[in-house]
This record gives sequence, C-alpha cells and structure tokens, in this order.
Amino acid sequence: MDMDSDMEMEMESDNDGEYEDDYDYYNTGEDCDVERLDPKRADPEYFEYDCLTVEDIEKLLNERVEKLNTILQITPSLAKVLLLEHQWDNLVVVEKYRQDANALLVTARIKPPTVVTDAASTSAAAAAASAQLLKLGSSGYKTSSSVVSNANSNVPQYRSLMCPVCASSQLGDKFYSLACGHSFCKDCWTIFFETQIFQGISTQIGCMAQKCNVRVPEDLVLTLVTRPVMRDKYQQFAFKDYVKSHPEFRFCPGPNCQIIVQSSEISAKRVICKACHTCFCFKCGMDYHAPTDCQVIKKWLTKCADDSETANYISAHTKDCPKCHICIEKNGGCNHMQCFNCKHDFCWMCLGDWKSHGSEYYECSRYKDNPNIANESVHVQAREALKKYLHYYERWENHSKSMKLEQQTIDRLRQRINSKVMNGSGTWIDWQYLFNAAALLAKCRYTLQYTYPYAYYMEGSSRKNLFEYQQAQLEAEIENLSWKIERAETTDLGDLENQMDIAEKRRTTLLKDFFPVDT
Amino acid sequence: MTAPRRLRKELGDLQDNTLKSFRDIKADDENLLRWTGLIVPDNPPYNKGAFRIEINFPAEYPFKPPKINFKTRIYHPNIDEKGQVCLPIISTENWKPATRTEQVVQALIALINDPEPEHPLRAELAEEFLKDRKKFVKNAEDYTKKHSEKRPAD
Repeated sequence: MDMDSDMEMEMESDNDGEYEDDYDYYNTGEDCDVERLDPKRADPEYFEYDCLTVEDIEKLLNERVEKLNTILQITPSLAKVLLLEHQWDNLVVVEKYRQDANALLVTARIKPPTVVTDAASTSAAAAAASAQLLKLGSSGYKTSSSVVSNANSNVPQYRSLMCPVCASSQLGDKFYSLACGHSFCKDCWTIFFETQIFQGISTQIGCMAQKCNVRVPEDLVLTLVTRPVMRDKYQQFAFKDYVKSHPEFRFCPGPNCQIIVQSSEISAKRVICKACHTCFCFKCGMDYHAPTDCQVIKKWLTKCADDSETANYISAHTKDCPKCHICIEKNGGCNHMQCFNCKHDFCWMCLGDWKSHGSEYYECSRYKDNPNIANESVHVQAREALKKYLHYYERWENHSKSMKLEQQTIDRLRQRINSKVMNGSGTWIDWQYLFNAAALLAKCRYTLQYTYPYAYYMEGSSRKNLFEYQQAQLEAEIENLSWKIERAETTDLGDLENQMDIAEKRRTTLLKDFFPVDT
Repeated sequence: MTAPRRLRKELGDLQDNTLKSFRDIKADDENLLRWTGLIVPDNPPYNKGAFRIEINFPAEYPFKPPKINFKTRIYHPNIDEKGQVCLPIISTENWKPATRTEQVVQALIALINDPEPEHPLRAELAEEFLKDRKKFVKNAEDYTKKHSEKRPAD
C-alpha cells in the first residue's frame, strides 16, 4: 500500500459513517451522552460532503430546471437564467414570480427596465417585438418573422431592414431580437456569440446594443451557433457558471480534476477529493487552513507573498550550533536537533537547550511583545512590526519545510522497512503502524503550521495567551512524535502509540476551542 | 468581412454631420482601419488648443473594440505620456458591437472636458488635480499652449 492511499484511509475515517452507526446503536435510551454522540461536537473537523461527477451535477441541475418548468410553464432556457440568478433555489424563484413577475424578469436581465422605442429601432418588426412584451412560456427571443406573421395572421410580409452592426440591408426574416427589441441580423448575432464564447463568456452574453444589459438566453445562442466546437465550449463555460452560482457546489481545485464537491453546510471545513486526494477548504477553495478562518488566511498569504523576499533574506537555511558553532543544515522535520559534532541537544527554532523544552514549559512558539513599544519612535515600531511578522513567518515556513522533510523521512522509512522484511525481521504488516504514525504527524504539523497566521492576527489578550499555550503544547508533542518516528527502530510500539494519541488530542483540543464550528 | 462596410458608413455619417468638438476626420488612404481626427474641447484648461487623435479599428470590428491614441501631447490625469487613454466604453468587457464611433468620441470628449481622477493613468496628475486645482489648471494651460495644435477658425 502506498503512502497516499494510506493517508486517505486514515483521514477518511473522520468522515465516514462510523459516527452515525454509533448514533443509531446508542440512541435507544433517553439519557444518552450527547457530547459523545454528536459528531460535530466530538470532532471539530467533522464535515459531511459528497464528491460528484459532472454527470451527477448535470442531473441535479436538470432536475431543478424541470421542476421550475412545470411550476411556472417556462422554457428550460429561461428557467436556467432564473435559477442562476437565485442560487438555484426553486422556492425563491417561484415566490418572487408570484409576488412580481415583471420585477423578477427585470432583475434577472431577461426584460429591460423600460422597453426601447427609440428611433433607431422603429422598423415594423422591431416595434412589434418590443410592443409585444415577452411572455413567460415563449422562448426568450423572437425572430422578426414570427412577430410579423402573428400580427398579420396570414402571409408574412418582410421589409428590408438595415442591421446597425454590419450596416447591410436584409429582409426582416433574417433578424432576431430579445425582449428589449434591439434587432440585429442573424449573421451578426452569430459572429458576436462566437467572439464572446471565445473570451470565455457564456451565461453573461448581453444584447449588442449600447447601454442595453438584457441577457441572451441559452436557446438563442444554441440556435444560431452551429459549429460543434463553439457549441461545446459554450456549454462547458455555462456549466461552470451554473456550478459557481450554486452555493452547495465547489470545483475540486486539484489539477485536471473533474470532481465537484457538494455539501449542504457551507463552512470552512476540510474536504479531501476522493478522486485526486487534494485537500482544501470547502468555503474558500484554498488549502485547508484550520484554525485560521478564510479572510485571515487570505490576508496572511498576501502578506507573505509581498514580504517573502525580505523574510527569505533574513532567515537563512542554515544555523550554527549554539554550543560548538559548527554550521548545521536541517535535513529532517524534527525541530529537536542534535549536533553531530558536539552532540549538544537544542531547539532549531529558538536555539535554546532542548532540555528546557522536553519536560518543562515549551514556549519558543510564543512571540513576546516589547512592552514599551508605544513610547518608541516610528522607526523602532516599524522594526518591531517586522520582527513580529518574521517571528510568525519563520515558524510558518519552518513547519512547511518540516512537512516536506518528513515526507522524505517516510520514503526512507519505506526503504528501511523493505530491507527489514527482506531480512526476515517482522512482516510488512508488522511495520504498518509507522506509516499511520507518519500520516498523523503530517496532519498535526499541518494544523500547527496554520496556527501561526491565526496567532499573528490575534489581539493580545488572555485568549491569545491560552491559544499560544495550547499551540506550544501541540508543538512540543509534535516534535516528540517526529523524534520518535525518525528513530523508529529503537522506539517501542506502545510508546509511539501513546505519543500519537497525545499529539492528536492536543490538536483536537486546540481546534475545538478555537476553530469555529457553526459558521 | 463586416468591418469595411460598417466603417465606410460610420465615416460617411461623421463627415456629413460634423461635430463641433471633433473635426477633420479622415481614414488612412491605404488603410480604412486607421482614422485620425482633431478633438476640440470646450472646457478650460484644454479650450486653448486642439488635440490630434488616432483611432485604430481591429480587423474583427465591430465585434472587437477600437483603440484610441493621442498624437498630441496632453496634460491630463486619464491620458499617459504615450498617448494611451483608458475609456470604459471601448474596454473589452464593456464593448457592444452596436456602439458607434461617434458615441466613443463623445465619451472621449466628455472625459477630456471633465477628468476622472478616481481611476487615473497618471497618478501624480490626479493627485495634483484633487489637491491643488489652481496649480493643475495653470500647468495644464501652459502645457496646452506649448504642445497642442491650433483650434480651427470657426
């Protein structure tokens, strides 16, 4: 089994049905332990979602469209526009329609606020089209011919009209107009649609007249655009717009991944795509970022992108051993360092003696504000602000690097286990616990990394003290775990499992206290 | 090709109904897609001169918007040193194929007469325009006198 699928199994266990089974089983008595049974309370990262394919989503959307068709007696094309504009909520559309159908059509840009009757479009056909307001139930556009033949009820009479776009005169039956009455020839509409589709515009294509914002519905586009490539493109772009306008759907951000994730709870929870295993935040679609919320992480990442050069310059990749001053390059994820030269144990983060980290209070994750800062000059304040930022940035970067290095540790682990199995010391299955430990370590360190932006933007308060205390506790246990995994052969199984349990408990406690569950 | 027929019509219409603030409209002899014209603004500080512009139409016109360039140097927050101008009506997102060149030129004249410092191309001029109007007007007038073309007699 490779690492990826292993990690997936481990992580999926958060979200699969085990809690519900528990619930059913225990939910027979009245005095059941709610705290234990409500999955949301038991696990702050619990999140229900489905990974759906394009076909699944198309089916779901079509069901909504058909439902609206039957209730309001309108074309699928119009129904799509109305649903797109109202987050695919059938009830809202129907209610708005019953209250004020005209206002609904105007806000959805199917009808213009006032119908145009200016001199530019006083041709018989266009005037007739604009006089005859769009009725729900008809398709969203009119050809002039249909209007003229309706008006005269027997032989249609076409007048020669000039198309304002191509400036050529043609017979009236070649003209099409929307509810606004702006009439243009078929060829111009077609070229216009293709130009728009080429730019990635689909559901937002508007009328060609200056200052007119009436929207072109799908059926007119698909009637006139005949090239299969362009039709396909149009449908793909429109599908994207539909998914993006639906609050419960998210495209998986994984490269070339076609999966769309659906959840009825719209919150900043972790989603792992079942197809490509990309892990992301359901709310904002960025990398998962608990305990930090979507706005703060965005602010932080922007700041890091702006300032990273300075930060890179200042925090070099190597450090000197605090005791013998030999130059040390970090080659493992663990921050508990042992100098190969003098065997001094120290912390990579603060360069302090590791002894003070192990048993006592671990606080190198905490930034200490200079208490006299308010009285200092602007220059000193700026320097202090940079120092504060660098403190958090270094730790953020460091944990990110540690995660990459720990991935290499896992690769080395796999090789070592292979050779052990070959030499007959235990079976492959006997060593599986090490991969579980490594997956848990990655999960914990990931959360730890994202605690730094949270702390950076937190105001100094007793709550911040509590946060930094818990963060320090988590960090200490993670380093212990990392140390034990790197020296796996000599660590005993019980000890390692105990360490895993402690680290995960620290992580869950921090998330429970600081990661908002109900937003 | 739609462009030549539409451009010939627009050019004819513009030359028949002459605008007071846009004169001397000509298409290139070899290239119908390149026009020049003279902007004659009404408002101070630009009413001391006239400004030559070039309009370049793409081959896909009118399905893609024209581009406008100032050939005469102008001291204006919305027009940069290269003569580029930022005009919403001809931006790709806003462009409508039925928009006529006359409407584009009207929008340009309105922008020249009343600068929009909220979205400037030259931030330093926008700042001067907002903070020290007297100084801005003086600089713009001097600049206009020095660099612009003569206004038509009538």
